[in-house]
Amino acid sequence: MSPMKPGDVIFDVTRPGASRAQLAAFSLGTEDPNPIHVDEAFAKSAGFPTVLQQGPMTTAHLGAFLAEKFGVRLKSLDVTFTAPVFPGEALRLVAKVESVGAEIVCALAVSKPDGTPSARGTAVIVAAGAAA
Amino acid sequence: MPAQIGGMNMHLEGKVYPPYRLRPDRGLAARMHEGQGLPAPAAVPATYFIFLRGETRGVDLFADLDIPRTKALHAGQRYEWFQPIGWDDEVEVTARIAKLAAKEGKGGKLWFADIEYEYRLLPARTLALREVTRLVKRG
Repeated sequence: MSPMKPGDVIFDVTRPGASRAQLAAFSLGTEDPNPIHVDEAFAKSAGFPTVLQQGPMTTAHLGAFLAEKFGVRLKSLDVTFTAPVFPGEALRLVAKVESVGAEIVCALAVSKPDGTPSARGTAVIVAAGAAA
Repeated sequence: MPAQIGGMNMHLEGKVYPPYRLRPDRGLAARMHEGQGLPAPAAVPATYFIFLRGETRGVDLFADLDIPRTKALHAGQRYEWFQPIGWDDEVEVTARIAKLAAKEGKGGKLWFADIEYEYRLLPARTLALREVTRLVKRG
């Protein structure tokens, strides 16, 4: 594998929109008791048009792609949620190399089909051959 | 300084909850992946360990910080990995209310809570993972 350099795209992928059943499964799997992800009336009472996709699902998507590519070299993942995601909204996830040294720092961007950013973040990976 | 400023129990900053123990559960991990549209995972998912699992194990943040679910938002997460955690591992989890802050947002007042979780592999109590989650209460 050739060395990474700033600007390299690590991944640029789109996850299909999650169904309500998938949101319910994710809530069960993460032991999330918040009804806002599964209860339409509750979500509306909180001021949203419908149920919300879990922010940690975005984190889990990013974590899965990064862990698949880098394994235990993945040292940290920092994600800020910037807009709600609703059922059926696909997410584009992009990771780009920001800097390279003993650690590789990647900028993460997540956006909805209309281009609205829904999350941003940073991942740090130990460079190949560097001591962890 | 008042203990509570407009709705979040600010005096709880620094509170450390009694530790609880967790083992990764293949069934729960499979449901998590089902939610993501992925097949059941071979290894413990990177973000399997998550603050939410503490809610039924004594870390009742929403009640303690007075964050009604209808006013709660999740602002972000940070994971920092130190050691891999396998299916057969057991971890001890300690949660700490690391930082509480009130800010004036465009739509009114907001309260932020940063909660830090440390996951230590048993029996040696080796630090394996640190997770910080940021919760927001809308005014």
